[in-house]
Amino acid sequence: MKQTEPKIVAFLCNWCAYAGADLAGVSRLQHPSNMRTVRVMCSGRVDPLFVVQALKSGCDGVLVAG
Amino acid sequence: MLMVQKLLKISGIGENRLHVAWVSSAEAQRFVDISTDVIASIKAQGRFDAAMFSTELAAAEETLKTEILRWMVGKEVKLLSRGDVYGRKWEKARFESILDSVLEREYHKQLILHAILAGFTSVRAISQKVGLGLKRISYLLADMEKTNMIEFRGHTDCIPVFAAL
Repeated sequence: MKQTEPKIVAFLCNWCAYAGADLAGVSRLQHPSNMRTVRVMCSGRVDPLFVVQALKSGCDGVLVAG
Repeated sequence: MLMVQKLLKISGIGENRLHVAWVSSAEAQRFVDISTDVIASIKAQGRFDAAMFSTELAAAEETLKTEILRWMVGKEVKLLSRGDVYGRKWEKARFESILDSVLEREYHKQLILHAILAGFTSVRAISQKVGLGLKRISYLLADMEKTNMIEFRGHTDCIPVFAAL
């Protein structure tokens, strides 16, 4: 089956963007659900290699938010 | 991460496959806006075919592992704010231009290494495979020889042949 929805990996900082995403959920703000979230303790934890490995393993885009 | 975007651009994968944003914990609306934008941008670019870009991805991965890049990125803040061991403070633009050229050089070296491993062992064959000029490849091969990435294996029909180590 051909999948048309893009897969996006989001690396979110626990203290900033992840909390922001959580708040978005709590405030029931509507947004698309293509994100696969990976919670990291700091966006500095995201090694540049993670991005390449994510693309290698078949995702279509990467978001790093801190 | 901006370096990774540049690398994705050089490799033809596309810099917009990676998005970087700053969102504070109180900015739920901003997070929603950003994630909507990112999804729209990736949708517009279409699906990413990892198999088509397997060489580029492998080369990009090896490039990001290289010591010189890791070292430079790790020293950036110190070089810009406190200066180097000679007490010279570096301009951001100058540091970035050097980082860019190192990034491109290391990526090209990895592409050449992959070409050699795939059986393209002469300068001309490598050039046809990776699409770089003959002069650039000769220059990088000499560099790669010095750092023990490849070796010169002798001549076949007067054509120099290289091998990966």
